[in-house]
Amino acid sequence: MVLADLGRKITTALQSLSKATIINEEVLNGMLKEICAALLEADVNIRLVKKLRENVRAVIDFDEMAGGLNKRKMIQSAVFKELVKLVDPGVKPFQPLKGKPNVIMFVGLQGSGKTTTCTKLAYHYQKKNWKSCLVCADTFRAGAYDQVKQNCTKARIPFYGSYTEVDPVVIAQDGVNMFKKEGFEIIIVDTSGRHKQEESLFEEMLAVSNAVQPDNIIFVMDATIGQACESQARAFKEKVDVGSVIITKLDGHAKGGGALSAVAATNSPIIYIGTGEHIDDLEPFKTKPFVSKLLGMGDIEGLIDK
Amino acid sequence: MFSIFKGLVGSKNLTSADMQPTLDKMKDHLISKNVAADIAIKLCDSVAKKLEGKVLGTFETIASTVKTTLMDSLVQILSPKRRVDILRDCMEAQKAGRPYVMTFCGVNGVGKSTNLAKICFWLIENNMRVLIAACDTFRAGAVEQLRTHTRHLNALHPAERHEGNQMVQLYEKGYGKDAAGIAMEAIKYATDLRFDIVLIDTAGRMQDNEPLMRALTKLIKVNEPDLVLFVGEALVGNEAVDQLVKFNQALADYSSSSTPHLIDGIVLTKFDTIDDKVGAAISMTYITGQPIVFVGTGQTYTDLKALNAKAVVHSLMK
Ligand SMILES: Nc1nc2c(ncn2[C@@H]2O[C@H](COP(=O)(O)OP(=O)(O)OP(=O)(O)O)[C@@H](O)[C@H]2O)c(=O)[nH]1
Ligand SMILES: Nc1nc2c(ncn2[C@@H]2O[C@H](COP(=O)(O)OP(=O)(O)OP(=O)(O)O)[C@@H](O)[C@H]2O)c(=O)[nH]1
Ligand SMILES: [Mg+2]
Ligand SMILES: [Mg+2]
Repeated sequence: MVLADLGRKITTALQSLSKATIINEEVLNGMLKEICAALLEADVNIRLVKKLRENVRAVIDFDEMAGGLNKRKMIQSAVFKELVKLVDPGVKPFQPLKGKPNVIMFVGLQGSGKTTTCTKLAYHYQKKNWKSCLVCADTFRAGAYDQVKQNCTKARIPFYGSYTEVDPVVIAQDGVNMFKKEGFEIIIVDTSGRHKQEESLFEEMLAVSNAVQPDNIIFVMDATIGQACESQARAFKEKVDVGSVIITKLDGHAKGGGALSAVAATNSPIIYIGTGEHIDDLEPFKTKPFVSKLLGMGDIEGLIDK
Repeated sequence: MFSIFKGLVGSKNLTSADMQPTLDKMKDHLISKNVAADIAIKLCDSVAKKLEGKVLGTFETIASTVKTTLMDSLVQILSPKRRVDILRDCMEAQKAGRPYVMTFCGVNGVGKSTNLAKICFWLIENNMRVLIAACDTFRAGAVEQLRTHTRHLNALHPAERHEGNQMVQLYEKGYGKDAAGIAMEAIKYATDLRFDIVLIDTAGRMQDNEPLMRALTKLIKVNEPDLVLFVGEALVGNEAVDQLVKFNQALADYSSSSTPHLIDGIVLTKFDTIDDKVGAAISMTYITGQPIVFVGTGQTYTDLKALNAKAVVHSLMK
């Protein structure tokens, strides 16, 4: 799965601790160097990687530390803690409430997979017997409404959109109001792709958000993204109240480390991952099991709670 | 007591140990600018190799020498060894009584269809008649997306302004059909109706999805396009390497030909979304040795530029 390769490298680096007869600064630095190289190859933001290195170094004081076993444990636990921090912002994800309208707005960079994931999520809830629907508030991308229409028709998901209305705010508001009246529980609003460098696009996103007052805003991020992710994610969060992250395209070779920086930048948990182009290629994401799987260890919980 | 003069007086031969601190910093800097880690390391190694044993000039510091050498390598990587001159090659094809055929390929959502439409606009401005072949028969809305672009482009360049010729037309057969077959029909249609150019849009695919990579290879093998463009986004990190290596690998392995048609050039998209993190340009050209033919800098038809190697290197070294 995701980051599996990275996990292997980190585990190997950590094992070098157990092999070393004495644990000194040199051993620690060597291990950190390996871990950081693995993280960088997985596209994890370079600033986060540097911080991780500093934080681990900061808690290890060789002069004050007792015997070898204790040192090993302390170093391992410091590394675990920092890795968990990368993936886990420590906030609870939004949970929709049954029997009331839950408005979920999707935002993200161009081509990240918003529209595809909107349908996947609506379908996911529909299968669990929630009354789900989709509003297409992308009036910019050529063929955007047709994309939603074809996806929804195939999955029998009710949808709303327009070929003639050019204002996404109007469509979003009309669609959400209509579905609310009809007693829908999961109302998903798809929006155009945008980036922080174009201010008018960000203003439009804010206007849509103000109009539909979403219960949750999901930031969709592509697993192949590199170092540009962090500043984009931060800018989205500064403009609207992003509450969750979905990482897409994890069915390929990408390790998704670049997208992880979106967690810290938006202070939001990853809730699902996209693993293909088909409608059921969506998997729930659970932080702690993910990290333990990543490191090939079962007992992380015990280690990090110290 | 002479140690304070060491940095200035150039009597010492450079060793890799001397350069290591600077090289480490350079490597991290390149990674922070989104150059793939592997390539950043290779670049720094090559700089070390070039400089090892050299004697520093009187006023040179190690840092500045490393930096200039690295900049030279970067400019060289970005400077095309081969020029792709589409308009000239189109004329050649015209003389031969056939359309010039371009195929766009790449992973999902990078901007293939949008930049195909931008390139179409540029071709029409150069008075070429274009047929767009809708060979993404998989993704919902893919055909309608191209139909909308075709309509917009014809509205911008109405037939009255081109001696009554409709400048762009869409060739489509809906969804679910074999892409290679539709491309072939489109090329035949374009030849019969004397279009100058055929632009083939393909579905996005992950580089290690074997059935889809085989299908792309087939499309290219049976239709023998003049130009195969790989579309990649400037946002991509280390994956740039894997994408290009595996696209080329698939085109070679699945074609069962001794002279397979590999990627001829790159379209680097979403260049407007990355500020100065321009490293993907280096990763992509380093891996393929092929030129970046177009740079996409926005979502409108005029947001299509040629690569400015110097400006890219300047952003990288900033
Ligand atoms: N392989 C794979 N492809 C995906 C996944 N999610 C989305 N895609 C593909 O990525 C491409 C872009 O997806 P869209 O849903 O159109 O992206 P978008 O964010 O809505 O794009 P814009 O509206 O233009 O900003 C399409 O080809 C999708 O099929 C995924 O998890 N895996
Ligand atoms: N900012 C910016 N956006 C771009 C650029 N090129 C394309 N896009 C946007 O990226 C999104 C995806 O573009 P498409 O052309 O549909 O991508 P594609 O590669 O054809 O996608 P699939 O066919 O689904 O694989 C759209 O929202 C485009 O408007 C660019 O240069 N800059
Ligand atoms: Mg969309
Ligand atoms: Mg496309």
